[in-house]
Amino acid sequence: MQRDVTMPQLGMAQDAGKIVSWLKAPGDAVAKGDALFEVETDKATMEVEAQAAGFLTGVSASEGEDVPVGAVIARISDSAEDDTPAQTAAAPAAEAPADDLPDGHSVTMPQLGMAQDTGLLVGWLKSPGDAVAATDVLFEVETDKSTMEVEAGRDGYLAATLAQAGEEVPVGGPVAVISEAAPANPVARSVAKAAAAPAAEPVPTRPQPTPEPSRTAQPAAPQPAGGRILASPKARRLALEQGLDLARLAKAGYPQPYHVRDLDTLRSLPAAASAAEVGTASRRLVAEVPEDGLPGFTAWAAGVHGLSDADAILAALAACSMPVPGPVSVERQGQTKTYALPAGRGLSDAMETDDAPALILRDLRGSRLTSVEMGGEATPALTLTPKGDGLTLTLECAPSEMDATDAIQLLSDFAGRVEQPLRHLL
Amino acid sequence: MAKAKTNTEDYLAMYRQMVRIRTFEDNANQLYLSAKMPGLTHMYSGEEAVAVGICEALTDSDRITSTHRGHGHCVAKGAAFKEMFCELLGKQEGYCRGKGGSMHIADQSHGNLGANAIVGGSMGIATGSALRSKLQGADDVTVCFFGDGATAQGLLYEVMNMAALWNLPVIYACENNGYSEYTKTEEIAAGSITARAEAFGIEAFKVDGQDVLAVNELTQKLVARCRKGEGPFFLELETYRYHGHHVGDINREYYRSKDEEKDWKENRDPIVRFRGYLVEQGIATEEEIEAMNAEIDKDATEAVAYAEAAKYPDVSEVDMHVYAD
Amino acid sequence: MREITLSQAVNEAIAEEMRRDETVFLMGEDVAEAGTPFKVLSGLVEEFGTQRVIDTPIAEPGFVGLAVGAAMTGARPIVDLMFGDFLYLVMDQLCNQAAKQHYMSGGKLTVPMVLRTNLGATRRSAAQHSQSLQALVAHIPGLKVAMPSSAYEAKGLMKTAIRDNNPVVIFEDKLMYQDKAPVPEEEFLIPFGEANVKREGSDITFIATSSMVQVAEKAAEMLAADGISAEVIDPRTIVPLDEATLIESVKKTSRAIVIDEGHQSYGVTSEIASRLNEKAFYHLDAPVLRMGAMDVPVPFSPALEDITVPTPEGVAENARKLCAGDMIHAA
Repeated sequence: MQRDVTMPQLGMAQDAGKIVSWLKAPGDAVAKGDALFEVETDKATMEVEAQAAGFLTGVSASEGEDVPVGAVIARISDSAEDDTPAQTAAAPAAEAPADDLPDGHSVTMPQLGMAQDTGLLVGWLKSPGDAVAATDVLFEVETDKSTMEVEAGRDGYLAATLAQAGEEVPVGGPVAVISEAAPANPVARSVAKAAAAPAAEPVPTRPQPTPEPSRTAQPAAPQPAGGRILASPKARRLALEQGLDLARLAKAGYPQPYHVRDLDTLRSLPAAASAAEVGTASRRLVAEVPEDGLPGFTAWAAGVHGLSDADAILAALAACSMPVPGPVSVERQGQTKTYALPAGRGLSDAMETDDAPALILRDLRGSRLTSVEMGGEATPALTLTPKGDGLTLTLECAPSEMDATDAIQLLSDFAGRVEQPLRHLL
Repeated sequence: MAKAKTNTEDYLAMYRQMVRIRTFEDNANQLYLSAKMPGLTHMYSGEEAVAVGICEALTDSDRITSTHRGHGHCVAKGAAFKEMFCELLGKQEGYCRGKGGSMHIADQSHGNLGANAIVGGSMGIATGSALRSKLQGADDVTVCFFGDGATAQGLLYEVMNMAALWNLPVIYACENNGYSEYTKTEEIAAGSITARAEAFGIEAFKVDGQDVLAVNELTQKLVARCRKGEGPFFLELETYRYHGHHVGDINREYYRSKDEEKDWKENRDPIVRFRGYLVEQGIATEEEIEAMNAEIDKDATEAVAYAEAAKYPDVSEVDMHVYAD
Repeated sequence: MREITLSQAVNEAIAEEMRRDETVFLMGEDVAEAGTPFKVLSGLVEEFGTQRVIDTPIAEPGFVGLAVGAAMTGARPIVDLMFGDFLYLVMDQLCNQAAKQHYMSGGKLTVPMVLRTNLGATRRSAAQHSQSLQALVAHIPGLKVAMPSSAYEAKGLMKTAIRDNNPVVIFEDKLMYQDKAPVPEEEFLIPFGEANVKREGSDITFIATSSMVQVAEKAAEMLAADGISAEVIDPRTIVPLDEATLIESVKKTSRAIVIDEGHQSYGVTSEIASRLNEKAFYHLDAPVLRMGAMDVPVPFSPALEDITVPTPEGVAENARKLCAGDMIHAA
């Protein structure tokens, strides 16, 4: 049976040992416990004993050489003639570098301390191609206690780096190659792309430093519109389940934090105005004309010009008064008709249309209503109500639909046309 | 002679156990050096005669408590290599299902109440076991192993006091290897170690811990007296550990000279000594001994290989055995 | 039903178990003739003899260590630790040895021992004889912790503790030994991990241990007059803890105060409050309050000592605030 002779672990944080002398020669018979060679550690000289009996063969490291911990440097075989060079089936440090790496001596990840089987390469202090001295710091490794400097261990040139900063390398695994002569093609690799370096057991390596998988995003805290509201978890949950908006309590001026009993208060708040905006901020303008000129005018238009549709005329007159003419609906006695006045055309060209109106005329002449206050609606509305011989004209709209100037202009113009339609034709 | 014949088996058993301990430790040390063993362990090499001499005088129903340097006691009290290596590597088939490790290894079936990572932590347990033996009218004896360093622990005096008051069947075995971790014993223990026990009226004995026969003979006498209710007793065994305090303590010349280590290894090794005696007395031949050594070696190598290949406990075991049913 | 004192209840429990199982024995300081300074164990040495009721020297680590060893090898010791304050002395034997032997041996070794000790301030015994250290041991996996709140619990829990195959620490309130409660004559055991609802309520839950149960009950009475209905729950064992009962109650009331005589910070109240936060968060209409002893060593002077522990008035006041939705925390 053959046993490998490896450079043993020499003490914490020591990655290589210098062979001071061989105490047995190749071919010598050795007994278990015989001293085979002396190693210089950074503190003293240590004898390394044979772990088996046999013959010393396959010696592959010489006196004066620095050998990385774990590297196989000889064998103890059953016969003196068995001179097969040391294989490294089990030892992760290969003396012969992998296929296409430059020739040289392997530098391995040292034993770092108790229960640490990989080392995190923090950074390189030399680059491939650099000349290095044995005591130069080659790279830094992070142990579980601190950052450790690892020396080159031999003079030469850094021919290859086999791990990148941030990669984990197993203890005893190859980290670099130091060649005697300046390398023609220095190589820089990462652990992930390492050529077939036989590893004894699957070692967890992370080719790229993997960021911590991000924790699931914080669940969005239920935020009612308009800023943070303080409420108990139960109150929030119930509000959510029941479709109640805690922000309304805040708007209504109730002090925070809110608890479950405040939901009763919330339920009893007045219902909100219709969804489509408005509320109390609509515009209302009122004009009065002492005389309704429209009936006379429509009669004339019908007689002289054959315009029989009084509503069309009414709509056209309104459209002309608008800052930007658009379709106008006329509502009377439950009927609605919408008319469009093409630009630059005359009153007689008003045509019925299916377009949505830009203005609604509510013709309440002949009704008993004298005054309306409807509030702004989706479309500006102009209501005509009788007042004595004349009319009250009420324009209502949401502020966003028409600004104040336009509203005033519209009503003033329309009022003028209603009073004296003929004048405005000229 | 008939007497020699029956002794032969005992002697061979003692020799065998000492070699088993040494072989185990060598293999465990290798496991550490080749970065295959998690954590640290503490080598017993050099102290074999203490564990073996004492444990060979005990039966399976006698109990022992052990220390952080516990592999020797464990083997000596009848443990098997396979389960021990498995435990050191944290595998499921270990004595403690991988949950104790080297420092808490226990083998209840042979009466080993466990190694203890707290220096002196087992003294209460050992004395309590003896209390139970007396209360229940049993005749088993408990041996409490501890080191010279542990004589600094107050617990030792509390338990010796009670053991003496109540005549408990416990033997306190102080393995004095000259060092309390990295400090010489004379720098940490004032006065005499045996006098400490004598202060409580406990009979105390000093013995050469490297002489397995002397240790065994004395222990047999004391065990017999304990069974008759004459305990407790105190033993100071002079011995030596070849390795450092733990396996990582390799560069240790700053507290212990190489010459001293060499002297103990070459001139006072218990195994070499006993081997010489066996051959000289015609109890075994060199060849028979070599054969025994080889067999033990093979046993260990196979056990190591088995343990390396054995599986870890399933992750679902992590919260098993916190509470007993 | 007959009423007996807590002291008598403990005595009965131990005597019954010692008759039932001859491996059970008692050890501690002054447990034999003296029956302990609190006289709880009087009469036992007469019945069971000095082999089973053992007076020890004043060596707490020593005799607790002995108990561990005896338990590991087939006996069932009850160790008496005269004052809960002495737990600090025995932490290695209790927490490094007893608590861990079963686990470290992969399930092979067991430690069926009971450590009987006490808690409770307001006895004018000053800082080193008045501590309530249940949190210390509840923190250690492998130990179980029982806290009887009356003679009834004391008997039932002690019997269960003795029959349990794990190390159990049982805390009695040293001021309650003469308090009477109805205790059945027939044999009964109280299982570990089962909380007891002492008083039903709907507005707020009080979770209280040991003598704080009586504090909580008094507070509940006071609050009833104000129209606040408080539920009082006694967990009885904090390890194992009956979370389900506590959570169910909080779901019903949506408010909770946890009351324990250990220090307020890093203690039993913190642990239970945390669990309610985690598992009943969306049912809480108020923050869960902790009420423990003040974070000060127990003072000697009666004027000072009495204000360091939770009182019924204090509990009631906090409860009123919570129910009113007062802002107790920082904005």
